[in-house]
Amino acid sequence: MSDFIALVNLPVPAATVPASAAEPGLERGWLSRALESVSVWIVLLLAWWVASVYLPLGDNPLLPSPLITANALWDSLPELWAGTLSSLTILIPGFALATLLGIVSGLAVGTSARLQRIFLPFAKVAGPVPPTVYIPYAIAILPTFKLSAIFVVFIGAFWPIFQNSVAGAHALEQSYRDNARILGLTRFEYQRRVVFPAALPHIFTGMAVGLAFSFILLTVAELFGANAGLGRFVQYYADFADYPKMVAGILYTGLVTFLAMTLLDRVRRRSLFWLK
Amino acid sequence: MSHGLKLEGVGFAYKATQVLQDINVSIPEGQFVSLLGASGSGKTTLLRLAAGLDPVDSGRLTWNGAPVVGPSLERGVVFQDYALFPWLSVVDNIEIAIAKAKPTVRKADRQAEAGKYLRDLGLEAAIGRYPGELSGGMRQRAAIARALALGSPLLLMDEPFGALDPVNRARLQDLLLEVWELATPRKTIVFVTHDVDEAIYLGDRLVVLGSSPGRVIADLQVPLERPRERHSLLDSHPLQALREQVAATLVQDTLQRLKAA
Repeated sequence: MSDFIALVNLPVPAATVPASAAEPGLERGWLSRALESVSVWIVLLLAWWVASVYLPLGDNPLLPSPLITANALWDSLPELWAGTLSSLTILIPGFALATLLGIVSGLAVGTSARLQRIFLPFAKVAGPVPPTVYIPYAIAILPTFKLSAIFVVFIGAFWPIFQNSVAGAHALEQSYRDNARILGLTRFEYQRRVVFPAALPHIFTGMAVGLAFSFILLTVAELFGANAGLGRFVQYYADFADYPKMVAGILYTGLVTFLAMTLLDRVRRRSLFWLK
Repeated sequence: MSHGLKLEGVGFAYKATQVLQDINVSIPEGQFVSLLGASGSGKTTLLRLAAGLDPVDSGRLTWNGAPVVGPSLERGVVFQDYALFPWLSVVDNIEIAIAKAKPTVRKADRQAEAGKYLRDLGLEAAIGRYPGELSGGMRQRAAIARALALGSPLLLMDEPFGALDPVNRARLQDLLLEVWELATPRKTIVFVTHDVDEAIYLGDRLVVLGSSPGRVIADLQVPLERPRERHSLLDSHPLQALREQVAATLVQDTLQRLKAA
């Protein structure tokens, strides 16, 4: 078990953070707090604008100004939206399958000493392999690019979810186990009604890591062979040295990633309402 | 076939430590036994053995003549803490017990029955709420409701009121006695506590465990009438005499242990 924890780098289930951490005595109105939360954005935007106007970068600026980028973003929205849909048809199946199999197998392994003896040595070796190395082979082996990209996203998201599910099942408090035994729960009831909810804080940690990995792998995979998608969009316009569109693509991808992570966090908060 | 809970020469060791040694206690059906002892005397271990959560190392442990080999709905348990699943609402915590005790009952009826148990314990306001939203006293009420919902003839209670403030503690003691005395047939209860007054006030009988290793150092009847009346009892002569006897036994055990060490 101890070597297992070393492998997982045991995540601390993030406790629900209070919405406002401000001490009542130190409050200085909503305006100053709003300014604090956007200050980094303002500084970066200014720095970007100054750099794009005053740095001598010639006719085809590597650093398009914010306004030019905004125009490029606006013009590209239909194409970006189509790319988003294309990317989601890779991301969603890969991530969903990883979540499902990661949780089911992780909880099964986490609650069985025998399954741990069988699978953990393998997981310890296979888990840390950077999933990007599978991309060329997956493209060669699987019939379509889409399938191989889904596969790679799946591999990348699977291990963090699996490992955190194992850790969550492992961390199950003795008292819950005793309670389940006293109630005479069947093995399936025990998994579904006790182990799974108890492990949920860990599982969500794994899902957050897995989702971030999914976006990385999605965009990298798209560089290899996609004909649409977010990573493909950036690569395509970089090849034509259309930097305004490329930067617009980067910003847009960042936004989509942020929205997906926010959505997952919402789900997490709703599901873990019972955590104090 | 002998009815009730019977321990004959029961022993239990954890790693190199002998936790319990040669425990001989026979508890007839319907008796309320307070199991008393200092911390580390193996009270909780004894309860876990009776529940079937841990197997005995030596001796014989039987419930109604049959050896205890694992947990069973025949023997309900109330723990001091974490008795409920925090991700289930209070009513669902009770319902899951009813679902196991009476698998054929429909869900709507199970919910209704769970509500009845909760009302009996003064928890109607907490039915749809979650354990994390309740006070310690309310949580323990719900835990007792769940143990009752299992319908077990034997209730094993491990310091169920240990974490409560004195007012809530007294209230729940009275509630437990009321529920127990009203039921027919009465449940057999083994109630673990380290509070001498609580042990005497609740029990028909006191079994006192000494420590290192845990063994029975006193087995006393409580000569008090039921139903018990808290205010007249606590200062009564028989209770005080018993309290002093138990305290002396425990002190003597501690002194002996210190001498041996």
